[in-house]
Amino acid sequence: MFFDLHIHANPELAINAQKMGYSGMALVLNPHDYGDKSKIFNNIQRTIDRFHDDEKPNIKFAVEIDAKNPKDLKKQVGKFRKKVDVILVHGGDLKINRAATEDPRVDILSHPYRSRYDSGLNHVLAVKAAENKVSVEINLKYFLLTRPTQRYRVLSQFRQIMKLHRKYNVPVIITSDASSIYDLRHPKDVIALASCFGMTNDEAFHALSTVPQNILAKNEIRDQIIIPGVRLPKQRSQRDYEA
Amino acid sequence: MKLKILPTHLRDKTRYLAFQATSEIPLGRDDIISLISEASRDLYGAYGTSKLGLWVVKVWSYPSPEKNMVKGIIRCNREETNATRAIIPTITRFKGKRVVFQALGISGTIKAAITKFIKLNAADD
Repeated sequence: MFFDLHIHANPELAINAQKMGYSGMALVLNPHDYGDKSKIFNNIQRTIDRFHDDEKPNIKFAVEIDAKNPKDLKKQVGKFRKKVDVILVHGGDLKINRAATEDPRVDILSHPYRSRYDSGLNHVLAVKAAENKVSVEINLKYFLLTRPTQRYRVLSQFRQIMKLHRKYNVPVIITSDASSIYDLRHPKDVIALASCFGMTNDEAFHALSTVPQNILAKNEIRDQIIIPGVRLPKQRSQRDYEA
Repeated sequence: MKLKILPTHLRDKTRYLAFQATSEIPLGRDDIISLISEASRDLYGAYGTSKLGLWVVKVWSYPSPEKNMVKGIIRCNREETNATRAIIPTITRFKGKRVVFQALGISGTIKAAITKFIKLNAADD
């Protein structure tokens, strides 16, 4: 069971990813695509509905929040938390990275190393991310579309993230960030590639399978959680009590 | 004079990796060789590539107006199959156009790689 939680909003891509062996994916839309009468949103829904029940791709919806400052981030996360399945935060700026790791409502911190020389995470952020279960993304498109002469830098950034993962148990997730079929990669190839940045086969499998599954499972029961550690079980109807 | 072939226990043990590629422009055998060796050099350098024992064995191409498909077999050392597989997803561009490679599987013989992963039609033989 492999999952890819960062695919651009194109239903064809999701179908191709399913053929390639992914059993679930999240289509990432821009915040303004979630308007009530947005064309893209309706188009995707229509394409999914065309499939038979047993062939239907398991598609979740996600949003990538590109915030200007931590305050803006909080506002936007609050706005989208109930509308979408997965929330990604466009990282890269240190203040945004910090705000995202401190917010338990965020699911994935996308490329915290973007246009930086270090990984964008330190031990402080790593502890926070592990506490709040914010996964750190290893973005394959960022690696593959970097110039070959610069790739060593990205590899060392990934390596640093893995170091923090082993020490502080930060959840790490591998995503493709595909915007065309030329960005999709076979999950087994990805596992082989992951050994280049020091991931063992088990760790890579974990990052492609267990971590995304945990994110999706957590978001299904998020409504019922009152405070961390306390969950309101599904409300029974009056009829159940009478019976 | 031709050298005498090595005894079996001294030969390098090999594995065959079947792959398929989709590209915007048609790819020939020479293009595949240059793509793979360049990608390997970018990822592992000259030292790392020398250990893999790469060789493009055979390539079948299926040109079509929209998506050009290529299937083929790469030979590599038995101990380095995982490292060879890691090269495959790093190939992204050829002459400024997009390409994508995908490994189909790894096998011990060319025959098995063809029957199991390439799945030729009778007309292609």
